[in-house]
Amino acid sequence: MKKKIVSAILVAAMLGTMLTGCGSKASAKGSEAGKDGIKEFTAFFAVPGSEINDDNEVQQLIAEKTGVKVKETWLTGQTAEEAIGTLIAGGEYPDFVEAGSGSVQMYEAGALVALDDYLDKYPNIKEFFTDQEWDSLRQSDGHIYWIPQFSNIYGEERECTHNDEAFWIQARVLKWAGYPKIETMDEYFDLIERYNEANPTLEDGTANIPYTILCDDWRYFCLENAGEFLDGYPNDGSVIVDPEAKKIIDYNTTPTTKKYFEKLNEEYKKGIVDPESFTQTYDEYIAKLSTGRVLGMVDQWWDFSNNAEDAIKTAGLDEQGCQYIPLGLTIEKGMHNQWHNSGGIVNVSSGLAITTSCQDVEGALQFVNDLLGQEVHDLRFWGVKDVDYKVGDDGMYYRTPEMRKQLADTAYKASHSCSYSYFPQWLGTSRDGKNAMKPEGQEQEFYDGLSDAVKECFDAYGVKTYVEMLGTSPAPGPWYPMYTYSSTMTTATPGGTAWTQMGEIKHQYLPKVVMADNFEAGWNEYMDAYNACKPEDFISEMQTELERRITEAAKYN
Amino acid sequence: MNKKKISGADLAFRIFNSIFMIVFVVVTLYPVLNTLAVSLNDGTDALRGGIYLIPRLFTWKNYSTVLQKDNLMIGAVVTVARTIIGTALALVTNAILAFIVSRKNFAFSKPISLFWVITMYVNGGLIPTFLLYKTLGLTNSFMVYVIPGMLSAFNMLVIRTYMKGIPDSLEESAQLDGAGYTTIFLKIISPLCKPVYATVALFVAVGQWNSWFDAMLYNRMSDNLTTLQYELMKLLSSVTNQSASVESMKNAGGSVTPTSVRAAATIITMLPIICIYPFLQRYFVTGLTLGGVKE
Amino acid sequence: MSSTSSTAIPMPAAKAEKKKKKNISVADLKHQKVLLIWSVILTIYGVIFYYLPLGGWLMAFQNYKPRTGLLGSEFVGMKKFAMLFSDVTFLRVIRNTLAMGIINLIVTFVMAIVFALLLNEVASKGGKKVVQTISYLPHFLSWIIVTGILHDALSGTGIINQVLMNFHVISQPINFFAHEQYFWPIVAFANVWKETGWNAIIYLAAITSIDPSLYEAAAIDGAGRWAKIRHVTLPSLKPTIMILLLMNVGNVLNAGFEIQYLLGNGLVQNVSQTIDIYVLKWGISQGDYSLGTAAGIFKSVVSIVLIVFFNHMAKRHGEERLF
Repeated sequence: MKKKIVSAILVAAMLGTMLTGCGSKASAKGSEAGKDGIKEFTAFFAVPGSEINDDNEVQQLIAEKTGVKVKETWLTGQTAEEAIGTLIAGGEYPDFVEAGSGSVQMYEAGALVALDDYLDKYPNIKEFFTDQEWDSLRQSDGHIYWIPQFSNIYGEERECTHNDEAFWIQARVLKWAGYPKIETMDEYFDLIERYNEANPTLEDGTANIPYTILCDDWRYFCLENAGEFLDGYPNDGSVIVDPEAKKIIDYNTTPTTKKYFEKLNEEYKKGIVDPESFTQTYDEYIAKLSTGRVLGMVDQWWDFSNNAEDAIKTAGLDEQGCQYIPLGLTIEKGMHNQWHNSGGIVNVSSGLAITTSCQDVEGALQFVNDLLGQEVHDLRFWGVKDVDYKVGDDGMYYRTPEMRKQLADTAYKASHSCSYSYFPQWLGTSRDGKNAMKPEGQEQEFYDGLSDAVKECFDAYGVKTYVEMLGTSPAPGPWYPMYTYSSTMTTATPGGTAWTQMGEIKHQYLPKVVMADNFEAGWNEYMDAYNACKPEDFISEMQTELERRITEAAKYN
Repeated sequence: MNKKKISGADLAFRIFNSIFMIVFVVVTLYPVLNTLAVSLNDGTDALRGGIYLIPRLFTWKNYSTVLQKDNLMIGAVVTVARTIIGTALALVTNAILAFIVSRKNFAFSKPISLFWVITMYVNGGLIPTFLLYKTLGLTNSFMVYVIPGMLSAFNMLVIRTYMKGIPDSLEESAQLDGAGYTTIFLKIISPLCKPVYATVALFVAVGQWNSWFDAMLYNRMSDNLTTLQYELMKLLSSVTNQSASVESMKNAGGSVTPTSVRAAATIITMLPIICIYPFLQRYFVTGLTLGGVKE
Repeated sequence: MSSTSSTAIPMPAAKAEKKKKKNISVADLKHQKVLLIWSVILTIYGVIFYYLPLGGWLMAFQNYKPRTGLLGSEFVGMKKFAMLFSDVTFLRVIRNTLAMGIINLIVTFVMAIVFALLLNEVASKGGKKVVQTISYLPHFLSWIIVTGILHDALSGTGIINQVLMNFHVISQPINFFAHEQYFWPIVAFANVWKETGWNAIIYLAAITSIDPSLYEAAAIDGAGRWAKIRHVTLPSLKPTIMILLLMNVGNVLNAGFEIQYLLGNGLVQNVSQTIDIYVLKWGISQGDYSLGTAAGIFKSVVSIVLIVFFNHMAKRHGEERLF
């Protein structure tokens, strides 16, 4: 009898746990005002990001000013497509969403609220874009669903760092040569060779690595696309646009690109190019840069500055001139380089959107509007006055070394700073006409943070910033940049298939080309494999988009 | 097993075995000690590489960064809860199923076994699974941690194999004494299965302890259902993200990096397991004093 | 191992089961009521949690879009499968996955058993415990940590190259990650390194159940260490070994994702990419959910065919089997 009771209880317990599901149901989310009269919204961003603490101080200050607090969650361990796919399948959304490459999916699923009818009511949002820019955001049904957050300039542009790609070279190499004017790729490698012959090691005897190439996974842009810049074109990313003929040019097959790889091949044979270039991981690459051994490389600033440059400074190698200076190289002397472009970029492919699950669209938009107001914007990016920055007698914001140090601390940032980093934000000049919208645009702040070796180098060239090292050019045309289109392509079209295939082939063959005993043979083999991907499909789809963009822009002239 | 005389061959074996074990220990201990050293080294300094067994620039900062993470306590409580409840549930259900299919005169043993073996090799995919759990009301609930993975063919088969090794005569004599299956399971089979129960408990518990994907997928919006590993994953991804801000470049003040935080987080998650392990280990290593099954 | 073991050793006794078909009577069923009830409950659980989601397999025959869902997406028949099998890259990743799956299976399997057996022979109990505790620790390191250390060790200035050069095996450092022939062995080594101690736990647990009197009896018969391992320990482990082997055979196409992704590079991508990496690149990253499902179905079918075949082989040889 007893055993039956036992088993009966077990059965009941099992069924109970299995069928009732139970547990705490999610509290009805939405925008009902909490106890303290502060509305809570939720947001999901399909990108990796830093979560802030619940009791974050600046978030609380912003909540007091705007009456709104947003609980942000970020992508973790999934691709954006997977996360958005699950979200759509589930049919319940957070109030705000930045769906990244899943934006169109969200729109097609009818998960987003059309914003255009609301815009006129919110002056700060309205002024965020020109009419032309707003129109460029319209989807196939003629409505606007998302607001791109970044790269939008208020007033005068304020940019000190060149965040993008360049040929970088250590300050010590330039200093040794007496700060010469380096304009071409040949001069660049010649200088590196001469320097390395005269100074094969660091002060502590570690051998230099004259030139390395990062090739790890998606970061292989450090190898593949220098050709378009060397030809004097700007970063359209996937293609060159001939601004006269309005034609798409495939940079992978240009004579300049071939010359660039031939040069790398030559330097590889001479032992100038790091033999581990094509097998090193990103971590290994950063480790090499951090030891100060690498004289030069092609990279984008954000990819190495925050870890390698920091490590160089921590180890005191900045005194030996191991930090990197960008050079705007071209293939021939006297060409105009466009490594750096001024002006904002509207990346129309994704942005901040409000979902149909949001029960207070107006409140949500009011919050976005408030975030763009100067006072809140300063709170987001500069922080709290006298805690995170000080105001000089001339009204200029600045930070003390202690403040800078504190703001670099992860734990402090999580409990104190809150930039609502994937909500719309300004670059450029503050509405007070003096300060920069963000600290990194504040020239004096920037210059004070530089090490002596870099200051000396800048002084020798008569410049004050990285951007001035390269010179700057305006965007070449209304189509710029074309990568905002190619990054949305998928295998659903022949062009997208070709594009993915081309990437695979380049990944596989370009290292072989550089290491080839016989360059011509290696190059021809690569070209055969490359042409088998049908790059013409990709080019023709890009051409169509180029023409569409030009026609679109012509409506506003 | 005590040998009085040690023959030449035996001695050679012992020497060989000792050397093998020492090499094995060195090779497997190294990555752990290296992780420990990295976790105790300044993050920026560690970027330069060359840290093997001893930190070059000692700091607790990586640990304090991890331990200051918001919600870490909630995550730890939930994780402990899911580990205990999940392991208990898994052990009970797997043992019951294994018991059923290891009964030789039970007609449905084979089809049931096949039914479960297939589950190991099929997978409906992320979205259908998500929809199912949502329909069952498992999303935004603690149940999603302990119910879906509860019964698994692998663990069941491991237990079944062990149970099949127990002589039938035990069951037969018990049945002659009038014992039903419930009694046989609880009183006769289970006590003999302690080593395999401990093994499966260890597998399940470690799986529970380390899991975060379910917390991310099903309970993203419920802060009070977060897990330790999910919080650590979020921290890692935020450290990675932090270095993408131009701001931090001006500050050479020795900050944390993804690698150093990952090392610290790894050590922190390993510690409880290392502490609890000896209690389970007696079942795998020392051997039962009972020494198998008495007939 | 025949006569002694079948009478005295519990484990092998099981597989010596005679194939007697019993006629099931109503009385039997009544007696087995509790077994039946639980079978039904647990089967319902299995249907819900493992078989219901398989409705998602429909996706493989559709052009699935989250917007239209499973019920509304356009059906395209076998198109996704045709796409997969007409792509030489896919055929190549099948080869890679199979090769790495088989190599890993053999190497990790053998290593775990050898390690368990050797550990069992360590005389000192304390030593045994310490070695065993250390051996499973790498299981808790993520692949990103393990591959990072491996990259260090195998780099031009890493310890492996230094040792080889000191012993004059090579005169120039080998760039291990630049040559296709090293990739599969490196992956296999990494798996052994990380999982041997962990995988050995099952065998160690099984060894503990061996009746010490068997060893004593063998010793009286004059069996040495090897004889005891061959005639007592291994036969006792055999059911466990067989079951794990059968289960793992079904997993050869799950050779992994992370480790190949972290260790691979452009130069070796011909041998490094697995089915899972292919699915990520050509399916998920392209917003194509159907392709991944199709590849998943392919893997499931292969696994089940393998399992059925090997289970049948085991049955013919009178070995322990899955079903």
